[in-house]
Amino acid sequence: ISRQVLWCPSPHCYLGPFNPGLPVEVPVWLAINLKQRQKCRLIPPEWMDVEKLEEIRDQERKEDTFTPMPSPYYMELTKLLLNYASDNIPKADEIRTLVKETWDTRLAKLRLSADSFVRQQEAHAKLDNLTLMEINTTGTFLTQALDHMYKLRTNLQPSESAHSQDF
Amino acid sequence: MAATQKPMRYGHTEGHTDVCFDDTGSCIVTCGSDGDVRIWENLDDDDPKSINVGEKAYSCALKNGRLITAVSNNTVQMHTFPEGAPDGILTRFTMNANHVIFNSDGTKIAAGSSDFMVKVVEVTDSSKQKTFRGHDAPVLSLTFDPRDVYLASASCDGSVRVWKIADQICTTSWPLLQKCNDVINAKSICRLGWQPGSGKLLAIPVDKVVKLYRRETWDSQFDLSDAFIMQPLNVVAWSPCGQYLAAGSVDGNIVVWNMETQECIERMKHEKNYSICGLAWHPKHRQIAYTDTEGNLGLLENVGDGKKPNDKVASTVTKDYNDLFDGEDDDYLNGDMIEPQSSPKAGANEDDGDDLMPTSGHLRRAIIDDDDNSLDIGMIKANSNLEKEDDDDDQTGGFPALPPSSTQQPFYDGPMPTPKQKPFQSGSTPAHLMHRFMVWNSVGIIRCYNDEQDNAIDIEFHDTSIHHATHLPNSLNHTMADLSTEAILLACESTEELASKLHCIHFSSWDANKEWTVDMPEDEDVEAICLGQGWAACATSALLVRVFTVGGVQKEIFSLPGPVVSMAGHGEQLMIIYHRGTGFDGDQCLGVQLMELGKTKKQILHGDPLSLTKKSYLIWVGFSAEGTPCYVDSEGIVRMLNRGLGNTWIPVCNMREHCKGKSDHYWVVGIHENPQQLRCIPCKGARFPPTLPRPAVAILSFKLPYCQVTTEKGQMEEQYWRSVVFHNHVDYLSKNGYELDENAKNQSVKEQQELLMKLFALSCKLEREFRCMELADLMTQNVVNLAIKYASRSRRLNLAQRLSEMAVEKASELATAPEDEEEEEDFRKHLNAGYSNSATEWSQLPVRNVQQDQEMEDAEETDAYEEVEEAPEVHKQSKKNVLSEEAGSYLNVSSNKKDPVVPSANVLDTMNKYSKKTSLSSSRAVNKQNPPVIKPLIPKPKTKQALAISFFQARTLNSSEKTVEEKEEKAGNESHEVKVTVQESTENRRPKTGFQMWLEENRANILTDNPDLNEAEVIKEGMSRFRMLSSEERMVWTEKAKGGTVNDLTEDKKRKRPTADEDEAKKNQEQKPEDSNLSKKPKPLDQSTNVRLAAFAFKQS
Repeated sequence: ISRQVLWCPSPHCYLGPFNPGLPVEVPVWLAINLKQRQKCRLIPPEWMDVEKLEEIRDQERKEDTFTPMPSPYYMELTKLLLNYASDNIPKADEIRTLVKETWDTRLAKLRLSADSFVRQQEAHAKLDNLTLMEINTTGTFLTQALDHMYKLRTNLQPSESAHSQDF
Repeated sequence: MAATQKPMRYGHTEGHTDVCFDDTGSCIVTCGSDGDVRIWENLDDDDPKSINVGEKAYSCALKNGRLITAVSNNTVQMHTFPEGAPDGILTRFTMNANHVIFNSDGTKIAAGSSDFMVKVVEVTDSSKQKTFRGHDAPVLSLTFDPRDVYLASASCDGSVRVWKIADQICTTSWPLLQKCNDVINAKSICRLGWQPGSGKLLAIPVDKVVKLYRRETWDSQFDLSDAFIMQPLNVVAWSPCGQYLAAGSVDGNIVVWNMETQECIERMKHEKNYSICGLAWHPKHRQIAYTDTEGNLGLLENVGDGKKPNDKVASTVTKDYNDLFDGEDDDYLNGDMIEPQSSPKAGANEDDGDDLMPTSGHLRRAIIDDDDNSLDIGMIKANSNLEKEDDDDDQTGGFPALPPSSTQQPFYDGPMPTPKQKPFQSGSTPAHLMHRFMVWNSVGIIRCYNDEQDNAIDIEFHDTSIHHATHLPNSLNHTMADLSTEAILLACESTEELASKLHCIHFSSWDANKEWTVDMPEDEDVEAICLGQGWAACATSALLVRVFTVGGVQKEIFSLPGPVVSMAGHGEQLMIIYHRGTGFDGDQCLGVQLMELGKTKKQILHGDPLSLTKKSYLIWVGFSAEGTPCYVDSEGIVRMLNRGLGNTWIPVCNMREHCKGKSDHYWVVGIHENPQQLRCIPCKGARFPPTLPRPAVAILSFKLPYCQVTTEKGQMEEQYWRSVVFHNHVDYLSKNGYELDENAKNQSVKEQQELLMKLFALSCKLEREFRCMELADLMTQNVVNLAIKYASRSRRLNLAQRLSEMAVEKASELATAPEDEEEEEDFRKHLNAGYSNSATEWSQLPVRNVQQDQEMEDAEETDAYEEVEEAPEVHKQSKKNVLSEEAGSYLNVSSNKKDPVVPSANVLDTMNKYSKKTSLSSSRAVNKQNPPVIKPLIPKPKTKQALAISFFQARTLNSSEKTVEEKEEKAGNESHEVKVTVQESTENRRPKTGFQMWLEENRANILTDNPDLNEAEVIKEGMSRFRMLSSEERMVWTEKAKGGTVNDLTEDKKRKRPTADEDEAKKNQEQKPEDSNLSKKPKPLDQSTNVRLAAFAFKQS
C-alpha cells in the first residue's frame, strides 16, 4: 500500500491515521524507514525548494550576522531526505548544492567571528540563529582552545608582573 | 446571422502576436513572441504546425506560398509555406522590424522598423530595395496601396505618412497620433489599412475613431466611431471585398462597419478584454481571426448580416483569388451589398419579435438600421457604381448625406448567451495537455502520456491491494477514463476510419477475459463515461445514455434532454449533468438527473436545474465516499445534495476562501462525509495540477455559509446543521439495506444534541427564552428533560414550565404516531419513494416512538418516585407557609397531575432546592425515609442499554421486567394517592391502582406489624410486601383496580377526548378548593390524555 508521508521534525507525534494517498505527518525516522521499504512517498518540507533556498543563501551572504534558518535541523534533514528520498524531491541536486553553500557561508562566518573574538580578547560574544549542528562543529574545539589560551595568558601575566616587579 | 464568437484559445506565449489567413483561407497563420509561426487548420486544431523563425516574431505576412516574418534579430525573413523551410533573408535593419506586409500581388514586401526606416523589397530579388526615410521615431505599421502606387506608414513620432513608392518621397503627412519614444509605449500600434480593390480609402485608427482619408486628395473623408468603443483602437482590417471594415481596440472590443452605410454591424467583446493586436479577414468566408497581446487566438464567424456570400464567392474565386480581386470584386461587391438588405431570412427574424429572439440582437439592430436608412439604398447603389468607375467627385457628396448619428443609435446590450461548456470527466486535466490526468478519484489515478515517443496510459491504485499498477498503450487515443474498484473504463472519440469506442478492463472478473470493447454507432461519439458498482455508463453526442453491465452486457438506454456535461456513478446511483438550455451573461444553464440502477430502477432528480454560482461553470461532479451527490463549480463552491431537505443542494465549502492567491485554485479529488474531508490538490496559479512533480493531496474542512460564524451562536448553529447534513447519508444508506454502525449514528445524534444543549445554555444566558423553546423543539425527548433541568436550575421557571409542557406534547405526538404507522407504511409502499426525504422520516418514526415510549416510561417512573419524595416535603412546606409564589405555582403543577407525568420531574427538582433552602433537614429526612426513590431509578439505565442494543427489540422486553415497571408505576401512583390523602384533598375519588387497593386493605396489617412506622415507611413496607406477592395475585389486584377506567381506555380511540374531558372536569373540581388559578390552565387536558394513551400503549404491549 503506497502512502504519502510528510516529514515531521519533532520526535513525538501522534501517528496516523494512514490513508492511501493522503499525506500524514510522521517523525523523520519513520518516514525514512517507510521510504526505504518503499511503502510511501515523502513530501519534502516547504522550505526545501530551490527558490526559497536561493533566497536564504543570498540573504546569508548579504548579512554579516547569521540569518535564521528555515529549520533548526536544516542540514540534518537535507542530508537524510536527499540521501533516502531524492526521487521524491524535485531538483534534489540543486537543493543539495544550495544547502551546502549556505552551510559553507555560515561556517565561514563562524570561523571569522571566532577569530575576531579571540583577537579582540572579548569576554563574551552573542551568536544568534546558530543551529545545534553548527555549534557542534566548532564548539568543543573553541572552548578548549579558549581554555588553553586563558591558561597561556594567565601564565604570561605573572611573568610580566614579575618583570615589572623586577624593575 | 449574428457573428458567433468562438472561445479564445491559447496560441502563443504571452506577448505581441500577429495573424493572417493563407490565400485560400484554409488555415490561419499566427506568429507570437515565442518566435514561432503556427499554422492552424481551424480554431480547434490542437496540433498546429509550428515553424520556429527566431527568438521573437513581431509580424508575419503570407502570400503565394511565401511566409515573411519580422523577427527579433533585426531581419525580415522568408519561409516557404506551408513547408516552413527557410528561404532567405529579405532585408535587415539596425533594429527589429515592427510590421511586414505584402503588396496586393505578392511581388513586394514592405517593412517598417524601430530604426525609423521603411523599406520596400522585391520578393524575388532582395537586392532591389527602396528605403523611405523621414519618420523620427520607430515605425509602427504599414499598408500598401492596392494599386502599388503609394505606401502609408504610421510611426511613434505621431505622424502617418503616405509615400510614393516609385519616387521614395513623402506625399503627405498627418500628425494624428500621440507621440511616444518606443513601440511598447505607443498607445496603439495603429495598424492602418488601405481599402482593397480600388484603394480609394485609407483607414487609420486614431484614438477611438477610424479616420478615413481619400486617395489623391488626402483629405479626411469621414470618421467611423461607435459608442461601444471605450478605448483606443489598435488595429483596422478591411474585408477582402472592401465593403466591411473591422477594428480592434486595446480593451478587446471588435467592431465591424459596413462601409456603404457606415453602420456598425457587429460588436464583439473579447472574453478577457485583452488588447487586440492582430486582425485578419478570411479571404472568402465572413470570418475574422484575431489575436491578443496575451497570445490567444480567436475567431468570429458569420460576420455581417444577411446571407453569407460564401457559395457565390467560392464559386467565382479560385485559388489565386487575389489576382482576380481587382477585376471581379466590383460585381461581387454589388451583390454582396444588396443581398443582406433584401434577405428573406432577416425579415423572418424580425417577425420573431423582440422577446423571442434576444440573441439576434445584432441582427435586429442591423435590420432596424436598414429600415431607417432604406431611403439610402438607391444612393448606396449609386455610390457603388461610382466606386466601380473609380470616380471620386460624386462620392464626396454621397457620404455626408448619410445620417451622422447612425453610429450612435442604441444597440442591443441585453443578456448575451454563454458558450456552453464542453463535456468533461471529473478529476481530469485538459485533454490537449501532453501529460495529463485522465482521472484522479478515491480509487486511483489514471495518467495519460501523449508525446513523441509514447502514447500510453498509466493506472495507479491508491490501495495496491485492489489491483497492481498498470501501463497500457493508448493506440486508440482514449481521452476519457473512469476507475472503480472493479474496472477501468476508457473511451475515445471517433476518427475518420474508426468509430467511437468504449473500452472496459474488468480486472475484478474471475474469468480470463478481462476486457471488452463496444463500438458506438456511426456519427455517435462518447462524450462522458462513468462507472458504478456492477455497471458502466456512457453519454453520447446523440443525447443518449447507454448503460452496460461491468461485464459488457448492454442494458438500459435512454435519451437525455440536452447535451451532456458530465456524469458520475457510485454504487447504484448514476448522476448526469446536462445542458438544459442556453445560459446568459456567463451563466451556464445545467440540469441534473439522479437515478438508481439497482433492482428497483427509479429517478430521484428529474432533470432539476443545477444551482451554480453566477458566471461559473461546472468543474467537478461526483459522489462522496458515502454516496451523496456533490459538485463543484469554477468559483470553488462545493455543493452537496441535502436529502434531509427535499433533495436540495447545500453549499458545504467555499474553496476560494482557503486559497492564498487570487489565481490559486483547489482541484478536487474526493469528498468524504465521515470524517468530514474535502480532498483536493492545491494548485498555485492554475486550475489543475501538473502530473510532475507528483502533487500532494491536501484536506480542507467543510463550512456551511451560515451568518455570523464568528460568534459563538453562529458557530454552533453551523456545526449543528453541518452535522445534520453530513449524517443524512446514514438514513439513506440504512434504507438501502446497507449495514451501518449504530454507534456512529448514535454518536452523531449525541454530538448534535450536545450542540443543541450548548446553544440552549447560551440562549438561556442571553435571556432568550423563546429561542430556548425553539431549540428545545429540535431536541430529543431525553435532552429536553436535561434542558428542563437546566432551566429550572438556572431559575427560569417560566421556561421550565413551558418546556415541560412541550415535552408532554412531544410525548403525546409520539404516542399517537404508532397508530398511524400502519397506514403510513402502506402509503410508503404505494409511493415506492423509499429514497425521498419524507420516507426517511417515516422510517425513523417507529424507532423514535419506541425509544420515546421507553423514555416516557422511564420518566414516569422517575416522576412517580420523585413525587413520592416530594409529597411530605410539600406537605411540610404548605404547613409552614414558607413557599414563595413561584414555588406555589409549581406546587400547583405537581399537584395538578394525578397521574405521574414526565415534565414535573425537573420542576420538582427545583422544588427540591427550594425546600432545601427552607428546610434542609426535612428534605434530607425525606431522602432517608424514601429509599424506594433511589431503587426504582435503577431500571432506567437498563432500558437504555436495551435501547442501544436494539431499538426494535425494546418493545418486546420480557414480561417480567414489564411487570416490575408496571408495579413500580403503580407504586408511584399509590404514593401519590398517599400524598393527596395527607393533604386531605378529594383525591380519593380517583380510580386506584392495584397496589393502592392492596395497600388499603393491608395497611392495617402493616401497621400492626410495625406500629412505629410513619406514612412513607408504611408505603415502603407495603411496596416490598406487594412485591413479594406472586404475579397472579398482583394481576388480580391490578385488574380490580383497573375496573371501569381501563375499560374506558381500551375502548375506541374516539372516546379519548370525552374521557379526558371528564377527567379534566373532575380534576378541576378537585383543584378548585385548593387553588382557583388552576382552572385557567388548559394543559392538564393534554397531559392526562397523553398519560392515558401512554399507559394504554404500554399495557397493550
